[in-house]
Amino acid sequence: MTNRPPARSKGVSEAALAATAEASEKAKLDFERLYRSSRDDVYAYAAGLLRDRGAAEEVTAAAFERAYRKRARFDARRGSPRAWLFGIARNAALDELRRRGRQAELSADPLDASGAEGRHDDRHELRLLLGQALGRLTGAERELVALKFFAGLSNGEIAGVVGISASNVGTRLSRAMDKLREACDGAL
Amino acid sequence: MERSSDHGGLDAALAEARPIPREAFVKDLDDRVAAGFPRRSRLGPIPLGSLGDRVRALSPQRLVLAAGGGALVAIALATVVVSSSDSGSAPVAQHADRHPGLQLSKQNRRHAGGVEYLSGASAGSTAEGQSSVRPFSRDTPETSLRAHREIERSAEIGLLADPADVAGDSAKVFAAVHDARGIVLHSTTTAGRDAGARFDLLIPSVRLGDALAAISAIDEVRTRHEATIDITKPTVSLEEMLRDSRAKTAGLLTQLSAAESETEREAIELALRQERHHAAVLRARLSKLRARSDFSHVSVRIESGASPGAGGAWGIDDAFGDAGQILGVAAGITVVSLAILAPLALICLIAWLAHRLWLRTRRERALGA
Repeated sequence: MTNRPPARSKGVSEAALAATAEASEKAKLDFERLYRSSRDDVYAYAAGLLRDRGAAEEVTAAAFERAYRKRARFDARRGSPRAWLFGIARNAALDELRRRGRQAELSADPLDASGAEGRHDDRHELRLLLGQALGRLTGAERELVALKFFAGLSNGEIAGVVGISASNVGTRLSRAMDKLREACDGAL
Repeated sequence: MERSSDHGGLDAALAEARPIPREAFVKDLDDRVAAGFPRRSRLGPIPLGSLGDRVRALSPQRLVLAAGGGALVAIALATVVVSSSDSGSAPVAQHADRHPGLQLSKQNRRHAGGVEYLSGASAGSTAEGQSSVRPFSRDTPETSLRAHREIERSAEIGLLADPADVAGDSAKVFAAVHDARGIVLHSTTTAGRDAGARFDLLIPSVRLGDALAAISAIDEVRTRHEATIDITKPTVSLEEMLRDSRAKTAGLLTQLSAAESETEREAIELALRQERHHAAVLRARLSKLRARSDFSHVSVRIESGASPGAGGAWGIDDAFGDAGQILGVAAGITVVSLAILAPLALICLIAWLAHRLWLRTRRERALGA
């Protein structure tokens, strides 16, 4: 038996092959980058919606784990990586809500403990007030507020995550903010 | 159009109140991400968990490709299994397809010594007696039963020969008939590209086994069909009727010798003539029945044509034929598989869609929207 060199197609340079492989890698989801840029946003969204730090941590971890395992299924034509990630996070958060069988109840208000332990100034009072005001919103309204102001998503991205039109997002957000302002009236 | 109103400083207050994760949680999550979310599998060393993860991690395109590849491999394996299991009867079936005159009856097909034997009874068997479906052989016990049973036998043999051998094979058939002291009732021989021959023979039943063996040895036997009909009952019945007729004739002769008047003698002679005519008819019918049991009708067909087993080299036509046959089997397996799997897949798809819809509804309901 003779030792033959491995067969190689002619006319295709190694550089071209390497460039193709590199382009293919770039086309894939850069999960590490997405994680670094979205970790705190996902947590803030989950905490704002669930109003429970422990549950928010669980949902955040579950969302990233699901995203990691499904990263090969990401299709850039269907939206940005952030919108895709928040879609997964939303499902995880709603599953958590469903599991608990109730809407977010205060086991620990995320807004009154966000790095302000022991402080009793006006800003702390405002956080407490905001926390109470958020609790009066419906789950859907609170979700929009969390996605907009805690996660920093644009109305278009929120529309993709929630499944409604961008103009509808704007309308609902405006309504939710009006309710919040009424609840916080005088403190701002 | 995105609204950018300030809402009286509420936006800034909300941004300031944005929840921030604990450092311990962030560090733990960073570690898990860096490790690629190792699964805390309860299955231990069994790689089922990782297999499920791999399947779930596949993109839809790769999942479809993997499923399609698996289906192709399954169809190829099934085709190989079916083709190899049918290989024993395939040449005969193929031959039967090519030669309509040698069509096989599946119900009656059975193997004997590598040759497809076809056994059956003619339409007359139900009218004249029970049909025995045993192939003849030289040592058949039917020879010893001949004294008690009247059996009519018939046989058809299909031989496959090269066109150049048809004439020689025909001569051998004549020789075999001569050796068996049989009779060639009819024969036709065709030369040329579609050379062939057909013989209608009468062979003494006692020599039928030898004759069939000799004819079968002439060339490749593609089909062999033998049938027997028990004609004992009509034979015995005719013999009894003939005995009665003879007794009646004897009685009439006695009456004739004792007749005293001319008128009486003429009446007896008329009855005697009628009875003798009746006896002659019975004898003829009995003779025909005995001839049916004494001689067996044998049809021999010699066909020529390309066949892998006909002595010719395996050529491009055979390759196309085999390829078509394999493709046909593969197509059949695919159709059967689709017939089974398509409804199941449809049910699974509907169940999956229903589950998704149910889940979405429950999630929205949980949100209190």
